[in-house]
Amino acid sequence: MQRQVALIKQSLFDQGYLDEQFMELEELQDDANPNFVEEVATLYFKDSARLINNIEQALERGSFDFNRLDNYMHQFKGSSTSIGASKVKTECTMFREYCRAGNAEGCLRTFKQLKKEHATLRKKLEQYFQLARQAGPKEIARRPK
Amino acid sequence: MTVEQDCVALDQFPVGMRVLAVDDDQTCLRILESLLHRCQYHVTTTNQAQKALELLRENKNKFDLVISDVDMPDMDGFKLLELVGLEMDLPVIMLSAHSDPKYVMKGVTHGACDYLLKPVRIEELKNIWQHVVRSRFDKNRGSNNGDKKDGSGNEGVANSDQNNGRANRKRKDQYNEDEDEERDDNDDPSSQKKPRVVWTVELHKKFVAAVNQLGFEKAMPKKILDLMNVEKLTRENVASHLQKFRLYLKRISGNQQAIMANSDLHFLQMSNGLDGFHHRPIPAGSGQFHGGAAAAAGMRPFPPNGILGRLNTPSGIGGVRSLSSSPSSGMFLQNPTDLGKFHHVSSLPLNHIDGGNILQGLPMPLEFDQLQTNNNKSIIPGNSMAAFPSFPSTQQSSLPNNNSHLVLQGHPQASPSAFPGHQINKRLEHWSNAVSSSSSTLPPPPAQNSNSIMSHQFDDGSSSYSIPFCDSTIPLAPAMDTNPRAFYRTTDLDSNANVQPGGVYYDSLQMRQSGNYGPTTDALLSSNAKEGFIVGQQKLQSGFMGAEAGSLDDIVNSTMKQEQSQGDLSEGDLGYGGFSSLRTCL
Repeated sequence: MQRQVALIKQSLFDQGYLDEQFMELEELQDDANPNFVEEVATLYFKDSARLINNIEQALERGSFDFNRLDNYMHQFKGSSTSIGASKVKTECTMFREYCRAGNAEGCLRTFKQLKKEHATLRKKLEQYFQLARQAGPKEIARRPK
Repeated sequence: MTVEQDCVALDQFPVGMRVLAVDDDQTCLRILESLLHRCQYHVTTTNQAQKALELLRENKNKFDLVISDVDMPDMDGFKLLELVGLEMDLPVIMLSAHSDPKYVMKGVTHGACDYLLKPVRIEELKNIWQHVVRSRFDKNRGSNNGDKKDGSGNEGVANSDQNNGRANRKRKDQYNEDEDEERDDNDDPSSQKKPRVVWTVELHKKFVAAVNQLGFEKAMPKKILDLMNVEKLTRENVASHLQKFRLYLKRISGNQQAIMANSDLHFLQMSNGLDGFHHRPIPAGSGQFHGGAAAAAGMRPFPPNGILGRLNTPSGIGGVRSLSSSPSSGMFLQNPTDLGKFHHVSSLPLNHIDGGNILQGLPMPLEFDQLQTNNNKSIIPGNSMAAFPSFPSTQQSSLPNNNSHLVLQGHPQASPSAFPGHQINKRLEHWSNAVSSSSSTLPPPPAQNSNSIMSHQFDDGSSSYSIPFCDSTIPLAPAMDTNPRAFYRTTDLDSNANVQPGGVYYDSLQMRQSGNYGPTTDALLSSNAKEGFIVGQQKLQSGFMGAEAGSLDDIVNSTMKQEQSQGDLSEGDLGYGGFSSLRTCL
């Protein structure tokens, strides 16, 4: 079980869903904060879901206020970076570039992609956390440094 | 952080250092909190800048350091940074996902002691305590001569902190007296804590006077404090105010400290009005500045002509008087054409101006900007105070007056008695502009002219900052009576502003100001400040007059010449020697 967990995690890294930042977060997890990473991930998804909604609405309106979109995306990028959501972050960056270029079409496309990545990551992390919980805290502690 | 340190009491700085973390992003905030805990700091978090400010204001000694995100919905991080720096003087670290050097620069100019990029790493946070030590160290060094600093080194941190703490204890106003607090009970320092000092106009005037007396370059907080002789004011208060003042000056003019005086008003307003968070009322006039919380922008008008600064000086006042006397001043006013530009200009009842001494009590210069631009105009102190309509900034250009007699008087618009504390500088400029433009036309009915010209109004404060004086139609009559002296508030700000503070006027103005504005009136400040600014007025006067006299030439010239002699106006903007004539007018 634990090996499974480790494998999943490893694959997440390998596939580029997560980056070193995630590892840093795990470092912060300790006895005082046993579920730190999961907590943070939960927060992140909650926040980002809201942001995605906002962006969606803004895009649907069709007015394409690039400034505003850029702002949203900046926030999104910030939190994604903090949690180590690497692919999501990349999409954010692309989206912002399209914004700056005023490329509405590009924005829409990227946004779709971003949502996809976001959803995928969410699923995978949920899976991961579930397994990790089942495996017990030992797994985390044992994570090789 | 070492585990052992954990067991040690809070005395072991940096362990236990109290950090306030502000970030609207919950995810980042949570992570930051956790990281800080890992560094063994004591963390308080909030996701709202307003809440953070409240927490800080509630007890200044509660925190050692603030870490704030840059992009926050309820308040700009930089703004928060400035506020914290001004009000609490705590070290603030900015945090952002923006790595753009522009932001970093902004952080620096707004006073951040560090700028971190997200995602934050724990290694970076491990060292942030240095900022706390450093700032304490600097403070200590400022006030005592480093007797506290013995260990300032890092490893000595705990020691130095303790030492500092002790030393701090000696100083009443120590903010950041954490160590003390940690050692003692928290109540101790708190009870000693002084309430935040509000730099009122009066106080600021004293401050400026002291600084001027000492010489700007040599002004030291301790000496300033002594000169000011205000009880309950501590060296630290003065020191931080001086620092801000210097920054302010730099911002507005680069090197012209002379303007100090002028800038006072602006400065005060600026700092007061910095972000609106300040409790200090922002003078109406400060509106102009205010805007300048972006001070740099706002301040523009202050050209370093410090000259203006000293309104208070009796000499200035006296000088003004002389200006007013000259009837020819009426000429200055003329800008009628220009005045026309200002909107209300015509409204200025120049009644008083018999000779067109426009400037008497003329409303103070228009907005800063305008004044700025018009530097050349000489401000003609209108004795009769024509209420100058405040020239809207637009005016400036219009006034290319050859006469440039500036009639500056900042007669307060609306309230005859009170000068709207408009930025004098502005007015002056405008005024000058206006004046200059109108120079060609001799002042139209004297009464009118004067008014129109300078309608810079001093805003009374609060209301309209840049309100064109015009509105105030400053009844010249009343104004005149009251301020015979041309109010020249010529906000020294604009060097041009030859604003000659009508010495007399000035007084009355001041008086009025005080009366009118009340404590809040920054505007009052402005007026007062103006006076202060007018330091150079006299000089200005001389300066102005000479230059501007366009149509007014003969009269003006004669007067101006007198001024010229006095003239230091070299300020440049005004450069008129004519100003002297102004004085006479007064």
